[in-house]
Amino acid sequence: ETWDMPLAYSGSNFHSVTAAEFGNCVTTGTGGEIEIVTHPSGSLFKGADIKRAVQTGQAPIGERLLSGHQNENALFGFDSVPFLATSFDDADKLWKAAKEPLSALLAEQNLTLLYSVPWPPQGLYFKNEVNAVADMKGIKFRSYNNATSRLAELTGMLPVTIEAAEISQAFATGVADSMISSGSTGYDRKVWESLNYFYEVDAWLPRNYVFVNSDVWSGVSDQNKNVIQACAGLAEYAGNWRSKEYTGFTLQGLRDGGMTVGPASDQLVGELKEIGVTMTSEWLEAAGDQGKAIVDAFKAD
Amino acid sequence: MALLRGLRSGLDLLYLIAGVLAAMCLVAILGLIVVQMLARWTGEVFPGAPDYAGYAMAAASFLAFANALNRGSHIRVSILLNAVPDGLRRWIEVWCFGIGTAVMWYFVWYAYRFVYWSWKFNDISQGQDRTPLWIPQSAMLLGAVILAIALTDHLIHVIFKGDHRITRDLADQSHGE
Amino acid sequence: MENLSVIILFLFVLFTLLGTGVWVGLALMGVAWVGMELFTTRPVGDVMLTTIWSASSSWTLTALPMFIWMGEILYRTRLSEDMFKGLSPWMAPLPGGLVHTNIVGCTVFAAVSGSSAATLTTVGKMSIPELRKRKYPERMIIGTLAGAATLGLMIPPSLTLIVYGVTINESITKLFFAGILPGLVLAAMFMGYVAIYSRLGKDWSPNPEPKLSFADKIRNSRFLAPVITLILVVIGSMYLGYATATEAAAFGVIGSLLLALGQGSLSWKTFAESLMGATRTSAMIALILAGAAFLSLSMGFTGLPRGLANLIAAWDLSRFELLMVLLVFYVILGCFLDGISSVVLTMAVVEPMIRDAGIDLIWFGIFIVVVVEMAQITPPIGFNLFVLQGMTDHEMSYIARAAIPMFLIMVLMVFVLILFPDLATWLPDNLRAGPGQ
Ligand code: NA
Ligand code: NA
Repeated sequence: ETWDMPLAYSGSNFHSVTAAEFGNCVTTGTGGEIEIVTHPSGSLFKGADIKRAVQTGQAPIGERLLSGHQNENALFGFDSVPFLATSFDDADKLWKAAKEPLSALLAEQNLTLLYSVPWPPQGLYFKNEVNAVADMKGIKFRSYNNATSRLAELTGMLPVTIEAAEISQAFATGVADSMISSGSTGYDRKVWESLNYFYEVDAWLPRNYVFVNSDVWSGVSDQNKNVIQACAGLAEYAGNWRSKEYTGFTLQGLRDGGMTVGPASDQLVGELKEIGVTMTSEWLEAAGDQGKAIVDAFKAD
Repeated sequence: MALLRGLRSGLDLLYLIAGVLAAMCLVAILGLIVVQMLARWTGEVFPGAPDYAGYAMAAASFLAFANALNRGSHIRVSILLNAVPDGLRRWIEVWCFGIGTAVMWYFVWYAYRFVYWSWKFNDISQGQDRTPLWIPQSAMLLGAVILAIALTDHLIHVIFKGDHRITRDLADQSHGE
Repeated sequence: MENLSVIILFLFVLFTLLGTGVWVGLALMGVAWVGMELFTTRPVGDVMLTTIWSASSSWTLTALPMFIWMGEILYRTRLSEDMFKGLSPWMAPLPGGLVHTNIVGCTVFAAVSGSSAATLTTVGKMSIPELRKRKYPERMIIGTLAGAATLGLMIPPSLTLIVYGVTINESITKLFFAGILPGLVLAAMFMGYVAIYSRLGKDWSPNPEPKLSFADKIRNSRFLAPVITLILVVIGSMYLGYATATEAAAFGVIGSLLLALGQGSLSWKTFAESLMGATRTSAMIALILAGAAFLSLSMGFTGLPRGLANLIAAWDLSRFELLMVLLVFYVILGCFLDGISSVVLTMAVVEPMIRDAGIDLIWFGIFIVVVVEMAQITPPIGFNLFVLQGMTDHEMSYIARAAIPMFLIMVLMVFVLILFPDLATWLPDNLRAGPGQ
C-alpha cells in the first residue's frame, strides 16, 4: 500500500527531510507493506489544502503548519501566542501540555496525530536599530495574520499585508521595513539586502504537524501501527535536533550577509513580555477552557 | 415553439448576465488592489484584501466560462474539424461537446459536494478575511453549472440542427498569449 | 516499464481529446481524470475540486486579467496608432526601413503588455496596412510581426514569467529584470536579420520614404509620449515602492484608461468591449490553468514526473546536454500546447532536474520564455499564427513558413543565452537597490 504524503515546503527544507526519513523508516519497518512517498513543495496539495485533503481521504497522510487554521479553532494557534514560550525548552514544555487536547481536537476531525516538529524561533527584523517599543512607532510592519496585525497594533507599528512570495521585493522598495519571522525566512529571502537588524526575541516557535487520516489509521495492523509510532518518535527527535541546528546556521547566514544579529535590549524584552501577557489573555478568551488548561499546565512547574 | 423560443432567449440572457457579473468581478479586483495600495500609503489596514481578490478571480473565471465558450474564446485544436467533410464534422462536434458536457456535469456534481462540505464543516478562510468559504465557492459552483448548461445547449443544437452556436471572433480570442 | 505504459496512456488520451478538438482546459481535466481513476485509489472528484479551487482562487493570478485588460484598452483606443506615427521617421533611414517599426513597436509595446498576442494585434493593426502601402515584401511583414510579437512574453511585464514565477516560487520582479537584456538582444537579432535581408532579398523593393528633417522627427516623436509615460508609470510604481509586482498591473489598467480618456478615445463602448474582451480572455486562460492544475496533481499521484526525472537523471546528462534535451522537448510540446500550459504542466518534472543540475532558476525562466516564444509560431497550435490568420486572411501554413527565420533566430538565441548566461542573470543580481531584492 502506498501512502502519498503531501508536504508544503521544498524538498531541501529540514521538515521535508525529516518527513522523507520518516517515510523511509516506515517503508523499511513495515517491510514495504506501507510505502510512504513524500511530495514536497506543495506539488500534490498546497499547504492550505493539506489538512482538509487528509481529513477527507484525498491523501492518507500529510504535514501542515496547524496554526494556519486558527480562524477555524483558536486552539490550533496555541504554539503561536507571542512571548508565551520563548525557547526550545519552553516550546517543548508547551507542546507536552497541549498534546492531549490537540490530539483530541484532531481526532474529532478524523485525523490521528503522529508527530510534531518546531520551526526555529521567531525574531524581529528591522531596517534601523530598535531598543524599545517606542522606537517601533510608525514602522511599516509586514503582517500575515490576525495575531501579527495585533502585535503591530500593540507596538504602534503600521501593519502592511505582503504575501510571502513578495517579501524580498517589498523590503527592497520600502513597502515594508520590518517583519517577525524565523531566521530561516530571512536567510531564504536574502533580506540582508534591505534590512539590517535581527533581534532574537524568540517570540514563539510555530510547529508543523504530521497526521494521518483516522479511517486509514484504523485499517493499519497493530504491528504496523507500532512501527509507524516508533518512526514518528524518531522523526520528532531528529526534527527537533535539526531545527536547533538550522537556527544557528541561518543566524550565521544573516550575520555573513551583513546583518546585526543578537538579543534585544533588556528594555525591549521587558516591554515585549508585557505585550505577550496581553496577547496571551486575548488568546485565552478565544480558546476558552481548553486553552486555559494548556497555559496552566505549561506554567505549572 | 413559444416555449422553446422563451427557453432560448432565457438561456442567452443567462450566459450574458454571467459574463457581465464576471466582468464586474474584474473591476472588483482592480478596486481591491487600488484600495489596498491606498490603505498602505495612508497607514490604514485593509485586512484580507488579497483573499477577496482571489475569490473575485475565481468568480470572474468561472462566471465567464460560458460566455467565453459562446464567443469561441476557449482554445481548441481545429485541424481535424477543418479537414473533414461536413457530415463527419457534425459527429466529431457531437463527440467534443459530449466530452465537454460530461466533464462539466461531473465537475458540477463534485463542486456541489465541495461547497456543501465547506458549509457543513463551517470551513473558514485561513487568511485575515475569515470568510466562510462556501460563499466564494458558490460562485465557482454557479459558473460551473452555467458552463455545463451551455455545453449541453450546444450539444443538443449540434445533434438536432447539425451545428453548434459558437460565433468565433479571432481578434477577441487573440489577446491571451 | 510501468512508467512507459502510464506515459503511453496519458499521451494517447491527451492526443485523442486534444486532436479531436475538445477544448484544451476540459481535455486536460479528462486526461487527469483517466490517470487518477486508473492509477490511484483516491476520491478523484474531491481531489479535482480541492486542486481547482485552490488554483483558481489564487491572489497571485490576479495580475493576469489586469495586464490583459490593459492590452485590450490600448488596442481599442488610438494609443497604438500614435505609436507608428512616432516611430516611423526614425526607422526609415535604417537598412530594412519601416519593417523595423514592427520590431521596435513590438519591443516598446512589450514593455507595457504582458502578452504576445496583445502585442501582435496592437502593433499589427497599425503597421500591416502602412507597410503594405509602401510595398514591403508581404512575407517579411508577416514573419517579423509573428516573431517580434513574442517579445511581449520576455520583456517585462510578462504573463509567462508570472506563471513561471508562481509555479516555482521565485521572485517575479527578479524574473522581470532578467528578461530585459535578453529581450533587447533578441530584438536586435531580429533587426539584424531584417537589415541583411534588405540587402540580399530578391523581392526587396519598397517605395522610398520622404526625407524628414531632424526637427520634424522630433516633432513626430510627441506621439510616442503617451505609451512611454505609461511604461514609466508601470515600471516606476514597482521601483519606487508604491506597488508590488502584482499591484503594478493595476497601475497599467488605470494608466491606460486615463491616457485613453485624455486622448478622447475612451468611450463607454470601448470601455465595455475592452472589459468583456479581457474577461473572456482571462477566463480562457483560467480554464486551461484549472485543467493543468488537476493534470499535474494527477501526474503527481501516478509518480510519472518523478519517474521521468529519474529517467533523465539516469542518463547522466551534462548541463548542456540536459538543456538540449529540454529544448527539443519544449519545441515538440510547443507545437501542441500554448506557452502557459506547457510551463505549468512540466515544471513539476523539470524543476527538480534543473535544481539538481545546478542551473540558476531565474536564468532558466528566460530559457523557458524563449522556447515558449517559439511555441507561439510553430504549427499546428501557435497563438500568433491564429491571430495573424485572423488579421491577414493568409493560410496558416503561409504564415508559419514566413515565421521560420524568426524561429531559427530564437533557436540561436538559446545558444546565445547558454554562452552568455550573464545576459539574464546580471541585471537581477546587481539591482540591489531595485525591486529585484
Ligand atoms: Na511584456
Ligand atoms: Na506552437
